[in-house]
Amino acid sequence: MRRSERLVVAAAALGAVLGWEALVRRGWIDGGLAPAPSVIAPALVALLTRPEVLTSLGVTAWEILASFMIAVPVGFFIGFTLAEVPFLGGLLRPLVNFLFGVPKSIFLPVFILVFGVTITQKIAFGVFTTLFVVITGGIAAVESVPRELLTVSRVYGATRWQMVREIYLPAMAPILLESARLGMIFNITAVLLCEIYGARDGIGYRIAAWGENVQMPQLYAALLVVAAGAVAVNEALRVVEARIGRWRSVP
Amino acid sequence: MIPTVGGAKALLSLRSVSHEFVADGLRVPALEDVDLDVPDGQFLAVVGPSGCGKSTLLSLIAGLRRPSRGTVFCGGEPVTAPMPRKIGMVFQEANLLPWLSAIDNVAFPLKLRGVPARQRREAAARMLALTGLAGFEDRLPHQLSGGMKQRVAIARGLVQDPAVLLMDEPFASLDEQTRMVLGDELLRIWSETRKTVVFVTHSLSEAVYLADRVVVLSARPGRIVDDIEVNLPRPRTFSLTSSEHFGTLRERIWRHIRSGERR
Repeated sequence: MRRSERLVVAAAALGAVLGWEALVRRGWIDGGLAPAPSVIAPALVALLTRPEVLTSLGVTAWEILASFMIAVPVGFFIGFTLAEVPFLGGLLRPLVNFLFGVPKSIFLPVFILVFGVTITQKIAFGVFTTLFVVITGGIAAVESVPRELLTVSRVYGATRWQMVREIYLPAMAPILLESARLGMIFNITAVLLCEIYGARDGIGYRIAAWGENVQMPQLYAALLVVAAGAVAVNEALRVVEARIGRWRSVP
Repeated sequence: MIPTVGGAKALLSLRSVSHEFVADGLRVPALEDVDLDVPDGQFLAVVGPSGCGKSTLLSLIAGLRRPSRGTVFCGGEPVTAPMPRKIGMVFQEANLLPWLSAIDNVAFPLKLRGVPARQRREAAARMLALTGLAGFEDRLPHQLSGGMKQRVAIARGLVQDPAVLLMDEPFASLDEQTRMVLGDELLRIWSETRKTVVFVTHSLSEAVYLADRVVVLSARPGRIVDDIEVNLPRPRTFSLTSSEHFGTLRERIWRHIRSGERR
């Protein structure tokens, strides 16, 4: 983004906050359901200084991270296998495609029955949801590798391992990162859904509780924290993606 | 035994080489009984109607495929797999690794061989200078024009100082002006390096203009139907293309192609 664009975006955001504040003060928006920014801000500060809230954030962060660290390598491995082994691909790819379209949330009760209301259950459900995105990305990445480049590397005497390191990996890297980033969005959604549905700790659990008790300032403050965290993770992955995929872009 | 041509040692020899593809359970003959000797340092052009197996011929020489029957020899040794030290190859598309700069693309064959970084950069820089790309070392492929990419591909083909350079319609996807400039550049590079070149093309003028000798293949399955020595003086210049002799040679090849296409 250029400097001028950034200024416009920042001004628009500031305008929205000020406009919201004004609308609540004039009574055009019900401050009970949507408290003014001036009410949310102190709640946010209070929230971030309460140790039990910080613990909850830590629990959620751990669940998201653990699920991601499992789902990404497992998903890529399955994706590569399905792309490179025609027999398995023919057998299982339709299944993956069907399951990709099924909303994963309907399986949540099953996960509770199997794992109980535990952290393991959140991680398992996160992995389950993320896996399909990552598998599909892994398959697409392998298929994006230009065959001609493999021929070139054969002419110049590449071994199998050299083909993997010099052609496959660099060619696939941008798509792999992109699907990891999309997977992360699904992953965060899945873990928070789990926590809101039923949990003993975690920020989703607190959001659900504040919502039920109509503690609106706390609720909105927590939403801000979660949104900021998700945006930060997504943007960080996007920066890496852009850097690694620099060769794809036409200036 | 090293095959000979008119007393001179043949660098490349094809001995009754035939090749078939299997497509949908059907065997499709692509090349039939090709015998060919290419002496060291010769610029050989291969032409023929589309689908005559010209590219197949090159991939057999490159060791990318094994012939169904017969043997390809390079320097007296049967070719059973790619020989990166002896044979360089340039394709219709430049096929550069898009994530590597021009110089790293040229150095790629050396990297595969484990040559230390500094040495391979020096060699690659020399090759880029030879192909007229000094100053473009750090450009990525998408920052180069089609002709420049093909120059990088030629530099990559030559960086290991191979005896043979195989070229599979290397200028076919370039516009006519670029094609003519690169043709002259290739002749300059060839006269400086004296490689054996096997140049597949579907342009008759290009074949006659560049080569010492033109081999004409028939329509599928490809067989050698004519073997023409191009006794035009070197260095070749554009004015040659309007000479009577040039026209006669072109005419002779064209008759083969036309009768091949009609069948």
